[in-house]
Amino acid sequence: MSASSSQALEYLELLPRQTHTKLYEQPSTVLAIFRCMLPHLAKSIVMAMLYMTGPFPSGDLDAWFKPDGKKDKEKALSVLEQLHIILGKQDSQRHISYELYKGFAHSLRQALTGGGTHRSFGVPSSQLDSNKVSVTFLDEYARKQWENILFYMVGSTVGLTGSNMVGQDIGEGTKALLRAGDFVKVAHGRVSITRTGFTFVLQETNAQVWSLLIVYLKHAPQLGMSETDVLSFLFMLGSLELGQDYTTSTLSPTQLQMLEDLSAFGIVYRASKTSQTFYPTRLAVTLTSDSGALSSDSLSSSLAPSSRSTPKGFIIIETNYRLYAYTSSLLQIAVLSLFTKLTTRFPNLVSGKLTKESITRAVKLGISSSQILSYLTSHAHPQMQKNQPFLPPTVMDQIRLWEYEGERVETTNGFLMKEFATESEYRDLVSYAESLGVLVWRNDAKRLMFVDRIEQISLYLGKRKNRGD
Amino acid sequence: MVKAVRGTLVKCDASVKAMLVDIDDKNGHEFIIDELDEEHIIVKETKVAELKQRLQNMMKERLKEPESSDSE
Repeated sequence: MSASSSQALEYLELLPRQTHTKLYEQPSTVLAIFRCMLPHLAKSIVMAMLYMTGPFPSGDLDAWFKPDGKKDKEKALSVLEQLHIILGKQDSQRHISYELYKGFAHSLRQALTGGGTHRSFGVPSSQLDSNKVSVTFLDEYARKQWENILFYMVGSTVGLTGSNMVGQDIGEGTKALLRAGDFVKVAHGRVSITRTGFTFVLQETNAQVWSLLIVYLKHAPQLGMSETDVLSFLFMLGSLELGQDYTTSTLSPTQLQMLEDLSAFGIVYRASKTSQTFYPTRLAVTLTSDSGALSSDSLSSSLAPSSRSTPKGFIIIETNYRLYAYTSSLLQIAVLSLFTKLTTRFPNLVSGKLTKESITRAVKLGISSSQILSYLTSHAHPQMQKNQPFLPPTVMDQIRLWEYEGERVETTNGFLMKEFATESEYRDLVSYAESLGVLVWRNDAKRLMFVDRIEQISLYLGKRKNRGD
Repeated sequence: MVKAVRGTLVKCDASVKAMLVDIDDKNGHEFIIDELDEEHIIVKETKVAELKQRLQNMMKERLKEPESSDSE
């Protein structure tokens, strides 16, 4: 499971059961969820149970795990239960047994072994397209559209708009979406980037696409679209083949409406708005895979697969905080200027300096030192990559110190659990929260704990109450 | 019975905590829900941004920054 799909997973987990049941009618959706949303252990459990005829007693499941694997097992099971993939049942003797939801199991079997006339993996166009477009063209299109969106967010903040045409031609719909997702805010007719927006820009492309699509999903009902339709279409896109044209005739009205928005993002390409076919771009086909979409450096150079396997770095930092970046891409320059004091620009090079002022300005805007460092590290010039670590340690430390001066507190939203009746009750819940990975802080002496998510904790408490202890 | 209280966990060092408590005292205790230990307090979720802002102001007043040498 990659970092990018984890936010999609978080969104999926919060959907109600009805939505899940509806989603699982499509084999492509089920396969996509299975392939890239589930942790590996959960996959093994699902695979093992897929062709079982009856319920699977939890005692037997426990026998598969070493005692020290309990934490991982709990985690995998809780994901599966949240997604309504498996169902834990209690019989009269209070033995718990697990079962896969019928719909999910059926669709997954169909996806794995083929068969059925569900057509959920897209229908290739039967007519030969006279002006068929090439993969290179699609990559170029996707890159241009996506870079425009990024540049709209970054460029306007650092005041580079107007100097160039890029960033101007993104649609009103996209702009509204960026505002709705709190990626940018508009004050006095001027667009400026927000904290969320920063995180967004510095993510890898695949994660960016998901972040934007999740905002899109959340606003789908307002646009009169059904969330399930939108989701299953996205999962279908993930299973399409690059360079192939697909017919629009099997799509629902919602999905047709979506095509228009998605082509504005560069996720699909259509020759015209009335075209009978559409092409998925690389942004679409990598939605549900772990391999990176357009890695951010290839975004600005070329999208050829060869360049993605060996990412080209372009940033050199010296121990005196001077920074040289071999780039002519406005987007990269704009991103750099968010936290660097850039002084000179040559045709293929910009140079500047990391200063206390420039870093604290970035911190004030919501960018964190670790984000800056990870950006610099992942784009370090090959010459820098010969050192270990890539960046000069003095510079790394100083950036962190500068941030720390501005940010003296660390905050986490969530819930404080208190007033535990007994020590064992406290210990039990602490270990459960720890195994879920939601425990942020604990104090054994005062029997207090702080968790950042509570849904599963309260479920667990409810269950424990029912058991009567 | 266990109780869950919604809020924001603020982690900071002891000196900053003292300042936060001071701000809370002077503003009719409208920020802090509970003090957990030397380095952790629980703050009302809606008030975090304002509290941070006040802390910044207070630090600016109290701490003198050395002039940063910004020569090229």
